[in-house]
Amino acid sequence: MSRLAGRTAIVTGSGQGVGEGIARRLAAEGANVVIAARRADTGEPVAASIRADGGSAVCIETDVSSRASVQACVDATVQRFGGLQIMVHNAFRGGIPHRLEEADLDRHWKHMSRTGVWAVLFCGQAAWPHLRAAGAQGRFILLTSPSGVEGSANIPLYSPVKAAERALAKSLAREWGPAGVTVNCIGPVAASPALLAAFDRSPALQDAIEARTPLGRVGDPEADIGSVALFLASDDAAFVTGQTIICDGGSFLGL
Amino acid sequence: MGATIDVVVDGEGVLADAIRSARPQGECTTTVVVASIATRATAFEALTDEAFDAAWEQPMQRAISAFQAAHRAGHHRLIAIVPTIGMSGAAGLGHAAATAEAIRVMVKSAARQWGADGMTVNCIAVAPELFGIDAADVGTVSLAPPALPASGTVAEDIVPLIRLVAATDAHHLTGATLTADGGVWMTA
Repeated sequence: MSRLAGRTAIVTGSGQGVGEGIARRLAAEGANVVIAARRADTGEPVAASIRADGGSAVCIETDVSSRASVQACVDATVQRFGGLQIMVHNAFRGGIPHRLEEADLDRHWKHMSRTGVWAVLFCGQAAWPHLRAAGAQGRFILLTSPSGVEGSANIPLYSPVKAAERALAKSLAREWGPAGVTVNCIGPVAASPALLAAFDRSPALQDAIEARTPLGRVGDPEADIGSVALFLASDDAAFVTGQTIICDGGSFLGL
Repeated sequence: MGATIDVVVDGEGVLADAIRSARPQGECTTTVVVASIATRATAFEALTDEAFDAAWEQPMQRAISAFQAAHRAGHHRLIAIVPTIGMSGAAGLGHAAATAEAIRVMVKSAARQWGADGMTVNCIAVAPELFGIDAADVGTVSLAPPALPASGTVAEDIVPLIRLVAATDAHHLTGATLTADGGVWMTA
């Protein structure tokens, strides 16, 4: 129960869904967790709940599309906990279904580019001095998607954003490896609020996803996705870098 | 040989120039999108917003527009050309690798949507040097040496692949990446 004792993690977008699941799992293993949420009214209850369970957590309102906001989050984290060993970038905004030939950059691209790829730049640069200081405990974990490998027929401009995150992870793995810092991706299919809402709108979608998934269900944010994040954050994954772990019950088998 | 293909190169730099100079011809109306790729290696922590905008945001917006123009034109083939660093990653070139891989995977999305419209969409991944990237900056991406001897010219090595994909016989090929780097990167 203390694989991450004494370490500090920032999880962006952890006011709900997959980010919340990851934050809860890391906290359960002893990490100080920063709930970096865009709105405190979602992040604060998560932090309070973790504290009520005996964990260590604070909420810092953070807009990952803003370099200054991300830097302020990292600075406040280090001031509060004395260091930063684990940076998890999960927050994402966008993903509206569209036809590629009709896609509008303002409506269908810029939010995803900003909160996906630009935010990797902001999170990585702000965290880097502290991850380098953490050496072999330094971790940068990015939440990508199977769509970043196989493309998407429904949200075609989502897939290049998620592909870019994978390429950045591979490049940073090469660049930061000499310092002992690892950089990896997780590609989840999990019961996020967005997916559950889609299931409510279309029960057939849930049936279709579960039917094509060998394990017959979508993932649980904490038990399934959080556990993979815990592995990557722990000493057990010290020799794993530049990789994407697809965590979707076997739905995508293309790697 | 059927009709002359209409190759539109949307891109900058030495590779796009070489393809234009070769004046490739084939059978289907075709758009060739040569990715605009940053060539200067920069440590990730030293990247400025301006540099990242020039390496990522602007090239991606141009690529999206080029894809849309190809579809609007009713072309039957769309071919994107990217460097292999998107698949391999490259220290100091993450900003360039991100754009390369994003365009390579956008090809798959476009292929999935536009197949019903009669368009195939494929990618040719080539050695980074053809984009003007210094091989020393890319570093070693495979423990094995290149499978083939030194490459020839763009006209000899790459243009024939454009003709291959632009042929009517390639009608069932879509969403694919043809890696033409002499056998360095073998994991597509």
